[in-house]
Amino acid sequence: MKKKWLWSLIVGLLLVTMLVQCGSPAQPTATPAPPTQEPSAKPTTPPTQPPASTQAPEPTAAARANVFVYAHPTTFPDLDPAKSYSNDSAVLSNCYETLTFYNPPGSKELLKPVLATSWESNADATEWTFHLRKGVKFQDGEPFNAAAVKYSIEKTKEIGVGAAYIWDPVEDIEVVDDYTVKFHLSYPAPLDLIASSGYAAWIYSPKAYEEHGSDWFNEGHCVGTGPYTIESYDRGSRLVMTRFDDYWGGWKEGQFDKVVFEISEDPVVLQQMIESGTADFTYSLPPDNLDALDAREDIVVYRNPSFQNLLGLLNTQKPPLDNKLVRQALSYSFPYKQFIDVVMKGRAVQSHGPVPAGMWGHSDELFQYYYDLDKAKQLLAEAGYPNGGFDLLYTYATGDMDEQQLGEVWKAELAKLGINLKVQGMSWEAQWELAKSGPEKAQDIFVMYWWPDYISPYSFLYSMFHSEDEILFNLAYYRNPKYDELIDKANELSGSDRKKAEELFIEAQKILIDDAVALFFYDVQNIHVARADIKGYVDNPAYPHVVFAYQLTRAR
Amino acid sequence: MALSPNDVDVRAQRRSARYQEYRLMLGAFRRDILALISLVIILAFVIGAIFAPWLTPYPDQGRGEPNILEKFQPPSWKHPLGTDYLGRDVLARILFGGRSSLSIGFLVVFLAGLIGIPLGAIAGFYGGWIDEVLMRITDVFLSFPPLLLAVAIAAALGPSFVNTMIAIAVTWWPWYARLVRAQTLSLREQYFIQAAHSIGVGDLTIILRHILPNVLGPVLVQGTMDIGSAILTGAAISFIGLGVQPPTADWGKMISTGRIYFIERPWFAGSAGAAIFLVALAFNLLGDAVRDVTDPRTRRGA
Repeated sequence: MKKKWLWSLIVGLLLVTMLVQCGSPAQPTATPAPPTQEPSAKPTTPPTQPPASTQAPEPTAAARANVFVYAHPTTFPDLDPAKSYSNDSAVLSNCYETLTFYNPPGSKELLKPVLATSWESNADATEWTFHLRKGVKFQDGEPFNAAAVKYSIEKTKEIGVGAAYIWDPVEDIEVVDDYTVKFHLSYPAPLDLIASSGYAAWIYSPKAYEEHGSDWFNEGHCVGTGPYTIESYDRGSRLVMTRFDDYWGGWKEGQFDKVVFEISEDPVVLQQMIESGTADFTYSLPPDNLDALDAREDIVVYRNPSFQNLLGLLNTQKPPLDNKLVRQALSYSFPYKQFIDVVMKGRAVQSHGPVPAGMWGHSDELFQYYYDLDKAKQLLAEAGYPNGGFDLLYTYATGDMDEQQLGEVWKAELAKLGINLKVQGMSWEAQWELAKSGPEKAQDIFVMYWWPDYISPYSFLYSMFHSEDEILFNLAYYRNPKYDELIDKANELSGSDRKKAEELFIEAQKILIDDAVALFFYDVQNIHVARADIKGYVDNPAYPHVVFAYQLTRAR
Repeated sequence: MALSPNDVDVRAQRRSARYQEYRLMLGAFRRDILALISLVIILAFVIGAIFAPWLTPYPDQGRGEPNILEKFQPPSWKHPLGTDYLGRDVLARILFGGRSSLSIGFLVVFLAGLIGIPLGAIAGFYGGWIDEVLMRITDVFLSFPPLLLAVAIAAALGPSFVNTMIAIAVTWWPWYARLVRAQTLSLREQYFIQAAHSIGVGDLTIILRHILPNVLGPVLVQGTMDIGSAILTGAAISFIGLGVQPPTADWGKMISTGRIYFIERPWFAGSAGAAIFLVALAFNLLGDAVRDVTDPRTRRGA
């Protein structure tokens, strides 16, 4: 009996420590150990997976100086440059390049030439000519030229998934000569901006794409013109990129030879890696732990505005939220300021409508709902629900503490109005499926982050609010022909008359705000954490969470 | 049928023998210090859960009302176990969390027994093809790793308290069916059952009157120990986001959300972990004690 007792004690202790410490320190103290021999914390690697033969050798201490390690909080769902529309861009942006590049805010010019050296359009922005850079090679040795540009963009368009819609205005691509390419558009559009998109605008080797197809890319291959190429890929665990010696930009002393992505969806592991120095860069750490990191000298916390915001899309076709007054009442029921100041400790600013601050098409003049329960009560009474008396389902992505806390705080406020908010955590895919399943079955409130593909208000206003026959991201089930017409018109003008376009976009946002289609919670601050010896990092909200490793060096 | 004086006499004798037995059990139990401590721990948590609204100054926070101005306070007199990420008193959350965790423990075992005991008794009593069919069904359930099956069922049914309970109970009952069947098999061959048969007592009566009372001992032991495991399983399911949904307090959920803050603010996940640990351990020790006490050999030897 005594043995049994001891045994249960041990098992109990083990279970508790396991639950509590899942992926906790292997190295207990926080002393900034210089790169240790082995990345210690890798509990997320599924133990059942046999080690792939392609797995890279562990970087040794000596070689570590030339290796940039990005502890990445998500997996890479699709590494096909024609299709990718997700977190893969962290990898792909180091391998592929675009014709133009959107400069970080505060730069003199909006765009920077990359694969195109210059470009011009006709007066009404329906014909665009790009002059291409000479002497550029793809990583498979193929030459970069006008035919490759034509092929990449046409192929991306033809496959037509992800952000491919950005090329919709393009009717025809004409190869004028080897280094000149001309786009004929069916309606005016800002093709210079479109070409800088962080998704679907990459130029890839036509030969490689024809020969191998999508699956090959997802096995861990890439063939672009950029500075790094994929060396090995252990799906869901690690991706190693190595430098492309013939990169047109050339190589200087001190630049990184290798870029390693260590994937872990566990924020505790990410924090361990950056603290121990096994990783050089990461994001998505628990925000409440950032203060402690701020205090450390060997770690820098970068805080920058982003083009990302959090919205709560309201199911506008399901009672009671089909009633505009009820939606407005909800908009008045959330304590924006208190939540941002106290819970988020200022990691965000309340949004003015759906277009984030710092982007063109944003206006500080737009009406902001504020916290006013009396007003909410009055609106509910007008709508015929003087004492509330209904349930609403709120889903959030499990693991997103901000979304979870938002739900918990909001629940308490809505309870005061007699509304029962059911807060339910689901995996992102599951809640998206539910949201798309039709207005009757879908949840009442779907919280979602949105960020643009190319930098235009249209990305926000079209994807989330334009009428859709088959629902993709219009998860509010919003249908308003007048609104559709306004933003379509504005989009056409945005190539030729950006000022007029901006006016129309702002006009359209007024409709959304008055209709209270969504709660515009806040614009997110980008927070990235890097080792202090990493030099040259500049956050660019147009390419969220992308690190252009080519620009970095390690101080010695 | 009228009772003859003789009958009464026999019954009284039997009763007094049973009392004697109970007194011996109680005596043995009282000598087992660990068992007593376990009982006290369990009672403390049960009482804490039942009377939670009166035991804490912050019942609203226990139910989930945020108090964001006092976010992440370390333990103090005002908040003996500190506050969580929305400023709620962790002690209040632990007390309220006991409601879901403990009821999962008790109800899962109850449900599992409710399904498993009758099936096991029937299988053991009748044998033959009935036994075959029922035991193959339990084999199917037992061939899945229990946590995996529970997680799969909980995921299929959707995240909620009741579903978590059902999911765990579904993976649990085969153990009871097997236990009861094994006991029944040996009982069925014993003289007193044979005798009952021979004087024409019905099957149902034999099962209810003669078999079940005799298998309850081992089932009780198993059940007591299982409550702890069921709480752990419930915590594990909550931990991965399938169980109780926020803002309802739950120990497993508290660990899963508190885990990412564990390094700097250990009081939050640590308290919930300690609660699970204590309760699971206490139920295990109590189960041991119940076994020793109900078995005459170990009882007298103790």
